[in-house]
Amino acid sequence: MPVVVYHPGYASYRFGGEHPFSPVRMEMVLDLLRETGNPVRPVEPPAATDEELLTVHTARYLEAVAAASREGGAPSPVFGLDTPDNPILPGLDEGARLVVGGTLHGARLIADGEARQVLQLGGGLHHAMPELASGFCIYNDLAIAIRELVSRGLTVAYLDIDVHHGDGVQQILYTDEKVMTISLHESGEYLFPGTGWLHELGMSSGHGFKLNVPLEPFTEGDSYLEVVERLVEPALAYFRPDVLVVQAGADAHWCDPLADLMLTTQTYEKLFRAILDFAELFTGGRLLVTLGGGYSLRATPRVWTILHLTLSGLPLFDELPAPWLERWSAQLGDDPPARLHDPPSPYEPIPRWEEINRHNRLMVQRLQDAVSMLWL
Amino acid sequence: MLVREIMHPDPVTIAAGASLQEAYALMQERGIRHLPVMEGGRLAGIVTDRDLRLATSALSPSPFPPDTGLAEIMRRPVHTADPLDPVEVAARTMRELKIGCLPVLEDTRLVGIVTGIDLLDAMLRLTGVHRPSGRLEVCVPDRPGELARLTGLLSSRNVNIQSILSYPDADGNVRIVLRIASIDTRPLAEALCGAGFDVVWPPHHACR
Repeated sequence: MPVVVYHPGYASYRFGGEHPFSPVRMEMVLDLLRETGNPVRPVEPPAATDEELLTVHTARYLEAVAAASREGGAPSPVFGLDTPDNPILPGLDEGARLVVGGTLHGARLIADGEARQVLQLGGGLHHAMPELASGFCIYNDLAIAIRELVSRGLTVAYLDIDVHHGDGVQQILYTDEKVMTISLHESGEYLFPGTGWLHELGMSSGHGFKLNVPLEPFTEGDSYLEVVERLVEPALAYFRPDVLVVQAGADAHWCDPLADLMLTTQTYEKLFRAILDFAELFTGGRLLVTLGGGYSLRATPRVWTILHLTLSGLPLFDELPAPWLERWSAQLGDDPPARLHDPPSPYEPIPRWEEINRHNRLMVQRLQDAVSMLWL
Repeated sequence: MLVREIMHPDPVTIAAGASLQEAYALMQERGIRHLPVMEGGRLAGIVTDRDLRLATSALSPSPFPPDTGLAEIMRRPVHTADPLDPVEVAARTMRELKIGCLPVLEDTRLVGIVTGIDLLDAMLRLTGVHRPSGRLEVCVPDRPGELARLTGLLSSRNVNIQSILSYPDADGNVRIVLRIASIDTRPLAEALCGAGFDVVWPPHHACR
């Protein structure tokens, strides 16, 4: 059973109104687990300190975040704060520090040998840069946690299954040979942040340890899982990390309103089982999983519930309980889902699927060619 | 954007009395392809890795020996840029003359060098791809006021524009390429379509 890290104060990491990055997503997961007899008893982490945030961010950025999130605070568009993507509400700084504290606490539990697997029910703020809030991310909890693991003498593989490129984590750790980053995402041609190309392989001693697969829009589950099998598994087999850190954004689901990949809940279940297998095979089971993007309230709570049940080795239930459907009817909208898994063939067939699969296979082939000279 | 913002200050140089061999070694050591050649503290010529390879090639009917002085093969006069030239002027000079670099002179003093790679860096900054952003491309009629209408709509949604470029397309319309500091370009694409704009990127969210 994984240790679950969560704090009710994560709810202060919010952007208000109709903003898609909403803490209601975690509340829906916790409520669904409770309602189906799988209640979560989380460990509550401490908030991250200045010292911990400064392992990745700069002092003037910390000051700007603190100033912007005080009542009547000063906006800092230069730092990406108080923009339409990252509006600032009072208390955001405190919420962000708790979220970072959660991922960091999870990393420490693993480094101390107190836990093998940790599920952080929050975080995954992979776009945040040392001095820039970006794409709903204020502080980069992942990079801070990974640096902590590295400072304990551990090597880390970071797998990012969010539909957007994990640009912040990659950039912060770009020259670090103790960290392999692997990001699978919809191509930057079409999607924010516009990076994550094949040629981004790392710099200086980190060269060859940063991997990116830009996927075609409308990529389906089978092609996605083929990429995981052909690229992720050999990469981990080569690198043999001490810990596997996973950003488990759920926005590659076909329902997601912000992106165009076509994963189903069934794909996610297979993906989560593969990740568990990778941890058993390559890291002695040491695995830290965070949440991330995921903006369909019909899909994201189901994907993350499947994540929790799969990591816990618990059986998946079938029907969504009526009280849960009732409590969240406003979030689930008209025609709410009836079951934990998607129905069979939930969307219209993708006419270009053969071309899409061929393209994705070619991306993996090219990446393998590029690293074959480096992985000796 | 001016040449002085993109140039390399204090470029590596070599004396006119040095040999081809020495120029080659210096290029290898510093990982560069262009060497301004100096004589009496002034720019006297320029030599590139290609000049060295052609001058010494075994395929040449009369190759220069490695100890030849640079003055024998260097190019002169040298085409140069001023630190206050706009980058597009430097780009046009290099394109028209088909050359790979411009030493930058302030009066007669060598203060920098600009190469084709620096111009590519400039292009990356001008297109806004160096910051996290999403791409939008809109096709508008070639007439006054279209850009104002477009930016007005973005402004009303409090969206920050990272970069904006335009170019004429083959049909006599104007393509406007925007990079937007936002994770989600599609509500914008929809709003633009709704306001009568012809959105052509992202392609699968295009109006037509």
